[in-house]
Amino acid sequence: MRSRIRAASVLLLIAFRNLFASRVRTAIVGGIIGLGAVLVVFGTAVVDSLNAGMARSIQGSLAGHLQLYRKDSPDPLQVYGGMMGSSRLEPIRDFAVVKRVVEAVPNVKAVVPMGIDRAFVSSGNVFDVALEKLRADARERLAALGPAGEVPAELDFRWRARKAHVRRMITLLHEELGEARKLVDVPPAERAERARQWADLERADSEEFWGAFDRDPLTGLEFLENRIAPLQADGGFMFIRYVGTDLAAFQGAFDRMKIVEGRPVPPGQRGILLGKFYAEEYLKLKHARRLDKIREAREHGRLIAKDEELQRWVKENSTQTRDILLQLDPAQAELAADALRRFLPSTEQDLGKLLPIFFRTDDATFDARYRFFYDRLAPLLQLYMFRVGDTITIKAAAKSGYMNAVNVKVYGLVAFEGLEKSNLASIFSIMDLQSFRDLYGWVTPEKEAEIAALKKEAGLSDLDRASAEAELFGGGAPAAPVVTHAGAIPDAPVRHERRARDADLFSRVYTQDEIDRGVVLNAAVLLGDPRRLKETRAALQAAVDRAGLPLTVIDWKEAAGSLGQYMTGLQFALYGSAFILFAIALVIMNNAMVMAMLQRVKEIGTMRAVGAQRRFVLLMSLVESIAIGLAFGVAGALVGAALVLGVRLAGGFPTTNDQLQFLFSGPTLLPRLGGGGFAVALTIVVAVSIASGIYPAILATRITPLEAMQSED
Amino acid sequence: MAIVSVRNVSKDYLLGKTVVPALRELTLEVQGGEFLSIAGPSGSGKTTLLNLIGCVDTPTAGSVEVDGQDTSRLSERKLTDLRLHRIGFIFQSFNLVAVLTVAQNVEFPLLLQGGLSSRERGRRVGALLEAVGIEAYARHRPSELSGGQRQRVAVARALVTRPALILADEPTANLDSKTGESVIDLMKEMNRRDGTTFIFSTHDPRVMAHASALVRIEDGRIVAREQGAAA
Repeated sequence: MRSRIRAASVLLLIAFRNLFASRVRTAIVGGIIGLGAVLVVFGTAVVDSLNAGMARSIQGSLAGHLQLYRKDSPDPLQVYGGMMGSSRLEPIRDFAVVKRVVEAVPNVKAVVPMGIDRAFVSSGNVFDVALEKLRADARERLAALGPAGEVPAELDFRWRARKAHVRRMITLLHEELGEARKLVDVPPAERAERARQWADLERADSEEFWGAFDRDPLTGLEFLENRIAPLQADGGFMFIRYVGTDLAAFQGAFDRMKIVEGRPVPPGQRGILLGKFYAEEYLKLKHARRLDKIREAREHGRLIAKDEELQRWVKENSTQTRDILLQLDPAQAELAADALRRFLPSTEQDLGKLLPIFFRTDDATFDARYRFFYDRLAPLLQLYMFRVGDTITIKAAAKSGYMNAVNVKVYGLVAFEGLEKSNLASIFSIMDLQSFRDLYGWVTPEKEAEIAALKKEAGLSDLDRASAEAELFGGGAPAAPVVTHAGAIPDAPVRHERRARDADLFSRVYTQDEIDRGVVLNAAVLLGDPRRLKETRAALQAAVDRAGLPLTVIDWKEAAGSLGQYMTGLQFALYGSAFILFAIALVIMNNAMVMAMLQRVKEIGTMRAVGAQRRFVLLMSLVESIAIGLAFGVAGALVGAALVLGVRLAGGFPTTNDQLQFLFSGPTLLPRLGGGGFAVALTIVVAVSIASGIYPAILATRITPLEAMQSED
Repeated sequence: MAIVSVRNVSKDYLLGKTVVPALRELTLEVQGGEFLSIAGPSGSGKTTLLNLIGCVDTPTAGSVEVDGQDTSRLSERKLTDLRLHRIGFIFQSFNLVAVLTVAQNVEFPLLLQGGLSSRERGRRVGALLEAVGIEAYARHRPSELSGGQRQRVAVARALVTRPALILADEPTANLDSKTGESVIDLMKEMNRRDGTTFIFSTHDPRVMAHASALVRIEDGRIVAREQGAAA
């Protein structure tokens, strides 16, 4: 036995002496192994923290730990949407039942009802907005009219400014269409219509029209609203992605959600929190957004002079100044022009020519112009399409086939920590569940009865397609779709009625029972102990099955859809490259060991001649590979660990762009050294060195004692 | 009693597609305690004969018995064991393990045998190093030794397991004549002291002169067997 130990120690001795004797080879092979170990330890630390960070972000934003949805849904649930947009899900008719069953399962901390969908939001028409203000002023002016026809000076000043703004917009439109007429060949069928439009514009831009306007502003306004405003093309609808949810439960459950501006929706009330990323990307004035992006890019070291994307943004800013011109009334326009003339400096009188000069920035002038824009121009402009406190109209194609619309108040802007720059998560707006249900338009039996009663009252038998079309302009709650059918453009009394109803909707407080009882599409489940995710998922599935609910339970990774796949893909890519690296290392090491073996053929032959069995030679060769693998593997792993700690001490990897920030789930990535990564690295390194030693070891056993007998020359 | 018995042994090598006979129906008996020299020109079959006796090669025809065992009936493992316990080797180019010290080289076969305690091994190795006259170099590496010293280490390694038979293929070929003679003297001394059988090949007449018996080989056949001058 002791002799066995002694023999083993000779094996080790020979192995180490051999390694030491051929230092260069040992250094090369060891270097490869060490480098591999460094990469594996460091790489797993990075991937681990990427994974953990993304898992936290996903779980803490929308997905939760588990998700429930109807198993007969045509699509699988993907909370962030998939390639084809939102998942089509069958409705869960009564969330209260689900909540009761789910909350009884052990380890369930919270269950949050959800209805995730996309809808349209009216982006408004600058013309409509300006006319609306003018109409309000006209009414006020009529009411304030003195006995001798005199008007208070302040009111009169505002009135003239507003009129000038509208007139200026008409002039801009007149010029634009005039240019367009020269270029476009109008088909015969449209000629009459186009001629009429042109005549309308000529009239609206004439002195006679504005001379008559003061005498009868309401008639003039009606003409402008009906005939001129539709010619302005910018009004329309934008996409909005939202989650309808029990807002209180959502805010309590998802710790990554934070309100970056405004305040939470008051408990039980209707309201919406707009996604901060959505607001920046889609609701902000394009010029401001592009300036922000250029600034951010420059902070990350990109230069306008060298970057085509930045050059494109600069060009777009300097050529598309119409949005800004339309927003400014003549007084504001003159203020802006005056400031610009002094800032640039320039003698140019026309703001329409000053703005392109101003926006044509380069790396030397950018910072000053950025500051000037926000200090001097932005206060004159509406930077965001909607502001906190505004009421917005959201429309969606309802389950019933009609277009449903709902007005909700914007209480604030919301973002998900770590996913601020993600167009997957922070693009979502968070809305109350009642508004979602109105948009979704699931017709409950009670509602059916209500609709039947209303129809009877109004004397309508049914709605045909034409009247359904009118829904687009109605925008009432689905419970009373017939109310707004009076005309394509609602007249004053109806508008008044709507305001009253809106006021009721905005102040009404719903009870928890009302929030719970009704349609949802899916529900997020948060766990007390996330480590027991697997067993809780099984228990939850069993519980809903027992209760006869046709639901399926999926985990957050599945629910994250393409995001989850993205994470899996990332891991795959990293492990794939590690695999390739080790495959190359294996080939190089194998080659080096074979070369070493060939150099020692005589020595091994001698050992065999003097009585060493094949097994001894095999072991001797393997011990050498394992020794080099272990020694350099451990050293490399330690270096890797030191590197991880070094990066942590230095504050982590900074992000340089939005994609990285999304990947890192935050502004920096702090790699984490788990015991797992270290063990995995060692195992892989030792396995690879053994694998690389097997072939040369087998070669060694094939060396016969005869080799010892050959003379050297 | 014959320690080696070679009967009607032929050995053919394949050189490309032509069969090259190295030994032709050769028969030889070696008695225990002999100090036998095999002589002959290059390519006469000396080395082939030693390889067959040393169980590192197998005959094409005929039988080889070593220490009473028919080598054709033994497995490769058994043959290796036979070499380990009953045969010692001395090589033309010494064949020491470069990374081990002199003492470790000598100890190596004992470690493979695995029977003796560390102290016994140490004693035996020490005694042999003294006997071959290089005890002062016990901790040196082979590369630090002269050719003659290295071959003395090889002799000690061959003797350390106390084998019945020691085979030496041209042990002096890489040494100058004076050193070669002193190595042969050492071998002769060991042969006398322990009664170990030595079979060595050479084409050096001065070396042959030390042998107790001489076998001359030409073209794979024994052409003469004579008692040597030293007998």
